Amino acid sequence: MNPRRSFAAGTGLFILLGFAALAYLATQTSSVANFSSGPTYDVVAQFDNVGSLKDRAPVKVAGVRVGSVKSIQLDSQSMEAKVTLAIDTRYNDIPDDSFAKIMTSGLLGDQFVALSPGGSPSVLKNGSRIINTQSAMQLEDLIGKFLVGGSSPAKSSSTGAAGGKSGG
Amino acid sequence: MSADMKSRPPRGGMLVDGLAQVGDCGLFLLNMLGAIPRSLRYLREISRQIWFVGAMSLVIIMISGLFVGMVLALQLYYTLSIFGGTAALGTVVALSLYRELGPVITALLFAGRAGTAMTAEIGLMRATDQLAAMEMMAVDPIAFVATPRFLAGVIAMPLLANVFSMLGLLGAHLVGVTWLGVDNGTFWSNMTSNVDVWKDIANGTWKALAFGVVVSLIAVFQGYTAPPTSEGVAYATTRTVVFASIVVLALDFVMTAFLM
Amino acid sequence: MPIEAVADALVEVRDLTTMLSGKAVFDGLSLDIPRGKVTAIMGPSGTGKTTLLKHITGQMRPDRGTLRVDGQNVPTLGREALYALRERIGYLFQNSALLTDYDVFENVAFPLRQHARLPEVLLRNIVLTKLQAVGLRGAARLMPSELSGGMARRVALARAIVFDPMLILYDEPFVGLDPIALNQVLKLIRTLNRTLGITSILVAHEFAAVRQVADLVHLIANGRLVASGTPQQLARGESDWTRQFFGGEADGPVPFQYPAGDYAAALGFTGAAA
Repeated sequence: MNPRRSFAAGTGLFILLGFAALAYLATQTSSVANFSSGPTYDVVAQFDNVGSLKDRAPVKVAGVRVGSVKSIQLDSQSMEAKVTLAIDTRYNDIPDDSFAKIMTSGLLGDQFVALSPGGSPSVLKNGSRIINTQSAMQLEDLIGKFLVGGSSPAKSSSTGAAGGKSGG
Repeated sequence: MSADMKSRPPRGGMLVDGLAQVGDCGLFLLNMLGAIPRSLRYLREISRQIWFVGAMSLVIIMISGLFVGMVLALQLYYTLSIFGGTAALGTVVALSLYRELGPVITALLFAGRAGTAMTAEIGLMRATDQLAAMEMMAVDPIAFVATPRFLAGVIAMPLLANVFSMLGLLGAHLVGVTWLGVDNGTFWSNMTSNVDVWKDIANGTWKALAFGVVVSLIAVFQGYTAPPTSEGVAYATTRTVVFASIVVLALDFVMTAFLM
Repeated sequence: MPIEAVADALVEVRDLTTMLSGKAVFDGLSLDIPRGKVTAIMGPSGTGKTTLLKHITGQMRPDRGTLRVDGQNVPTLGREALYALRERIGYLFQNSALLTDYDVFENVAFPLRQHARLPEVLLRNIVLTKLQAVGLRGAARLMPSELSGGMARRVALARAIVFDPMLILYDEPFVGLDPIALNQVLKLIRTLNRTLGITSILVAHEFAAVRQVADLVHLIANGRLVASGTPQQLARGESDWTRQFFGGEADGPVPFQYPAGDYAAALGFTGAAA
């Protein structure tokens, strides 16, 4: 039966198109697109405050994406945020004294981890720890500093935020 | 008017009638689900129906998606520029499409394009005794007519919603990047870092699937229970669009509240 | 009216009672359909002749009574048994009820494709044989929308006999046919009955046509069997019912007026109503 065959072929084509659209949306327009295809190694960095940093946020060196945030946990001993970064093994020459900083892309954009390379000859490896970190810049801190005229530098972001609010 | 001219049987009022319809519809759904094993013998029929309700709806879905994406980009660009956040255009367009507009508009278009066709077709089959003829040939019309169309609708809806979203994105890119000058890299990278496969795309797909179930159920049910007259079929077709649209929008709210 | 027990009845209806929206369609109906004969069921419009056919096929169930087809009590049959029984019954719908999605060939092949796994060559031969029998082999690739009413009915007949049923039910087979098509259908009914011995039940209003094919006529009115006999016997009109029905009188046991309230009152002559 020829007409039936053509129905079946058309139906198959339609289903294929639908799934292709789903696959495209899922892999090319979502955070899946940010997953590096190759293997990664894990590096740990501790921050006073991660702000609104989220899992799978990008990790960038000089604005170039080198990996993503794998997990964010609270270190119960130091009461600091322990952030595990998964870095593409292609970038296996990042100095181990690099500086990790949580930054915001644009005023409304999401937060990401920026690595500023240091000068050490040894490099970050799987399980390495980044010592030098700088927490997320809190908008409240900035406002607080601005209003108080920077006379009372915030010791920690939380007191800074509180001070900022009371000052305002 | 004299008493003996009243010919209508007493009715239970709108609320009771409405509840009775919902109950009948639920039983009908159970009947169809129960008939799925028997319907699987009619794979060819299911595939034919996917062709009719799915592939034949592609053109309207694609054109609508393109225009919705384009207008979305215009409106959101205007709103975002107030806050200096046009970099987020890609993200906002993609999230609106995946989470909301893709499933909902596709469902509404689907009800108008495929749902009415299903209702009218089944209603006419009833009116011309084709369903009775099948029963007489020992073929269960639920398994042969109703369930294949229902399944085809359930399968086709999410696929159509994805196509809609993809074309919407294309339209938004066209307007946002090509016309309004949003940076291409920003458009995509902002989107890829904020759109989540599970929270956004999967949720939208669940919605589309659920809408596929209710629209197809209403369409098939209305056709199957339409009075076998031309007037009855016409009313049933109208009811399909009205009921399906209301249920889709209400369900959309409920699902959004739960899936957030 | 007492039943003269037929020695070999294919369909045996006893004390059948059916209510439809509060109105008794059948009120203790009993009748027999003899095997191998053409039996016509006649009666005024709205007496449930088509409903009786639906009872025979199990599409509707009575409130009370038994209805045996080939020994099986239809109202008590489950789905599977009912479907097995229906495969042995052909049903010709008044409006033919061809599946509009399929062409003539596929319409006739439909029951075969659903219930028998036949090699395509064999299936094709069976279908062409049946189409040849109704004289429409040449129309095999036409769609139902391209057929005239008479042709559609003949295709439906070919479909009804594709499984060589033991029983064919004809629901108003003569309605809307021109004299030529009418004679063709009459010839087919006769041929199928005489050559294949298929028991036939005919629901019809056209006594002239029924007379040419029916061996037995049952006249139903008010939910009961009111007369029964050969067409010649009934034509003689020995009761009020047969006189009115076959004599074509407007008033009689079946009143000309639909039951209504007091006429004078309805016209507003309140004095008359009081």
